[in-house]
Amino acid sequence: MSLSDAQVPVPHLAHHYETIEKQDYAVRLGMWLFLGTEVLLFAGLFLGYSVYRHFYHEAFHEASRHLDLWAGATNTIVLITSSLTVALAYHAITQGKTKLCAGLLTFTIVCACAFLVIKGIEYHHKFQEGALPGKWYHYGEVTAPGANLFYTVYFLTTGLHAIHVIVGMSILIWILARTLRGHFSTTYNVPVELGGLYWHLVDLVWIFLFPLLYLI
Amino acid sequence: MSQSSPLNASPPVYPAVNYLNADRGVWSWLTTIDHKRIAVMYLVSVMFAFLLGGIFAMALRVELLTPGPTIMGANTYNRMFTLHGVVMIFLFMIPAIPGVFGNFLLPLMLGAKDVAFPRLNLLSLYLYWIGATIVLSGMIMGGTDTGWTFYTPYSTTTPTTLFPVLLGLFILGFSSILTGLNFIVTIHTLRAPGLGWMRLQLFVWAIYATSIIQVLATPVIGLTVLLVGIEKVGGFGLFDPTRGGDPVLFEHMFWFYSHPAVYIMVLPAMGVVSDAIAAFARKNVFGYKMIAYSSLGIAFVGFFAWGHHLFVSGQSSFNDGAFAVISMLVGVFTAIKVFNWVATLYRGAIAVKTPLIYICGFLFFIVFGGMTGIAVATVSLDVHWHDTYFVIAHFHFIMVGAVIMAFLIALHYWFPKMFGRMYHEGWGMVAASLIVLGFNATFIPQFLLGNAGMPRRYYMYPERFQALNVASTAGASLLAFGFIIILVYLIYALVRGKVAGDNPWDSRGYEWNTSSPPPKHNFDQTPIITQDSHLYQEPGEEVEHVVI
Amino acid sequence: MAHEANETPASKAEHVHGPGRYFVVWALLLVFTVTTIITGRMDLGSANLPIALLIATVKASLVVLFFMHMTDAPGANRLVFVVSLVFSLVLLLGVFGDLWTRNPMSLPPTAPTQESFER
Repeated sequence: MSLSDAQVPVPHLAHHYETIEKQDYAVRLGMWLFLGTEVLLFAGLFLGYSVYRHFYHEAFHEASRHLDLWAGATNTIVLITSSLTVALAYHAITQGKTKLCAGLLTFTIVCACAFLVIKGIEYHHKFQEGALPGKWYHYGEVTAPGANLFYTVYFLTTGLHAIHVIVGMSILIWILARTLRGHFSTTYNVPVELGGLYWHLVDLVWIFLFPLLYLI
Repeated sequence: MSQSSPLNASPPVYPAVNYLNADRGVWSWLTTIDHKRIAVMYLVSVMFAFLLGGIFAMALRVELLTPGPTIMGANTYNRMFTLHGVVMIFLFMIPAIPGVFGNFLLPLMLGAKDVAFPRLNLLSLYLYWIGATIVLSGMIMGGTDTGWTFYTPYSTTTPTTLFPVLLGLFILGFSSILTGLNFIVTIHTLRAPGLGWMRLQLFVWAIYATSIIQVLATPVIGLTVLLVGIEKVGGFGLFDPTRGGDPVLFEHMFWFYSHPAVYIMVLPAMGVVSDAIAAFARKNVFGYKMIAYSSLGIAFVGFFAWGHHLFVSGQSSFNDGAFAVISMLVGVFTAIKVFNWVATLYRGAIAVKTPLIYICGFLFFIVFGGMTGIAVATVSLDVHWHDTYFVIAHFHFIMVGAVIMAFLIALHYWFPKMFGRMYHEGWGMVAASLIVLGFNATFIPQFLLGNAGMPRRYYMYPERFQALNVASTAGASLLAFGFIIILVYLIYALVRGKVAGDNPWDSRGYEWNTSSPPPKHNFDQTPIITQDSHLYQEPGEEVEHVVI
Repeated sequence: MAHEANETPASKAEHVHGPGRYFVVWALLLVFTVTTIITGRMDLGSANLPIALLIATVKASLVVLFFMHMTDAPGANRLVFVVSLVFSLVLLLGVFGDLWTRNPMSLPPTAPTQESFER
């Protein structure tokens, strides 16, 4: 898909903004505000984790030893790498390298899929073992009181995180489609940046979830 | 500054083409990105919600006419007060002033052509409609009986239909977040040249502070609502003591949002009063900076006070004390505002119009509501008053006495701006008097009832409380009558009201610098701001006593 | 109506550097990941949690500052993000103020109390 024939895409200035700079500034501020709301959303879940870790320290400690460390570590590396590639994708499009951008976005999306697959396998193991939340818990290996709540917190946090992975992935697929259609250029690439920002947030949450759930 | 002030001779003109008739057809309204049209649609929606919530309130008051069952059984009563709370708070109080007046006025007050993200604005409206519909569908399916606070573990085990309410609230939360986000970015990026932060109208400052709360606090209630739903369906045990969970954790999470939520309701109201009081005293606002900063102060400190809802729930007494002190601190900011408002009125050229009656009512009610707030923030006293009618009277003084008075101030002050016509002043005064009187008659008895020990959310009570309950119901009827009168004369004014002209109040707010109703794009050219808003006297100048 | 736009000041700042820094950050993130795995599974007593949180905070800071371009973002965006973090902390501290000072009888038997801290 070559851009040399087509006109280089330029941003569309909405009627109520004076300049493109102001419009871009507004759009970025809006995105950071939205990311702020996501931080507060996950804060509630981290609160739940903290409270029940405080109550049932031993059960949480024991149960974290029974999580699949390799799956968690792999997922961490997958997400960190996907963060790298999405940052590089934005960098590429700011230099007009559309094909490189598209390739990097694709790789990011593949990483997202890999994350979900590994997560899915982990969940499947839990269902088999009976390591389930709340009233469904019947996992014999961890018997300390409050173990069921570890899995409640585990499924709620990783579940909500996985939903955000799916949402982020969908956004990136949409951005990829637009990139392939040549919508972006050195002068118009803000959507790629914003999609990347959302993806980085997904990574940020996992950076905290991983040690809290799998390690300590 | 072109305005057809009543001070000059030319008759008021109704602009032939304005935002109301620029595009025709229902579809043009449903797909609009014009913030003014979105505001009008919000107005219709929230007034419908208010009507519904009011009907539930009247049902409750009628039931409470007699000590025993009057018109409904216990379960129905529980559903009724739940609905009253949910509808009033989430479908009216939270979206009303920002959604209607914030939307309509913010770009006008900033000299902008629209809000930062017009399509997101329309999405907010749609999310409001969808969320509200889902909540109300739950009502039709039998309704929930947990109270609007849906404490666990009862809410996770009640057989009544909670799910639609939870889902609806989750969606309404998004509407609120997007509105707040939109307003913050608008204020940061779309100010006209010359409009520095310290020239912003106080209503804008209030909306800014409100939007910050909306963006920060609403995600937490969204999560809480989601967790309750999951627990109800899945038995996850997060708030269930039989599975090791902590029900007080639910209360912490719920009130972390719901306390700042009351500031989402009250801050815009205060902003309305700040603007209107300057216009109806024809005097520069006294203490502009103090009022502006106190809005931010309330937003900030309001986040640290949620534990005062948990005084008797099992929270530690250390926390009780800490939250009590912080809660009282918020009162300082409100007091600052009240002093500045009164100082603005002092020696002003007071225009005795309908909005002024409501302003007086507002001042009286916010002082009493605020002071009783300090009273219930005192832990030792709240142990006696918690879950009684004292608390109900306190928050209704603020919610109805302050916020709804302010909504009515806004409605009457800006009615000519939005629709280009004037309502009938005489009937306006009649309704205002009925409402202020009716409000007192409704809620002062409730302070007495609560102090005497009558619990809230009970549909039966001992004989000795009947007289005060009857008085309260009588007052509520007066209130209802007042609102109906307002509805009637406002609808009449829409179609047959006198043409208002661009600026019937001769107000110096920036929004009056364009025609009434405004054209679709607000301003033909971006205005350049050269003086403060609401500037009635130059430094050293005397107040000009004119009659408007 | 599309306008020919100049390069925005923000993208100008980003063009000054090449993609190299992203790889450096990525490498650092991997190093810290390995570090946290090792220290996390060691038994360091009550130091486990603070160390894990510290490493996670460092990793997160790298992502926010460099991948999310916080280093050359306008002040408003930075303020927004920091404020959301601050209020998340307010939520946590407010609730923990309660948990730490509750009467031990109202807590689950496995929860640490004043006495168990002294033991």
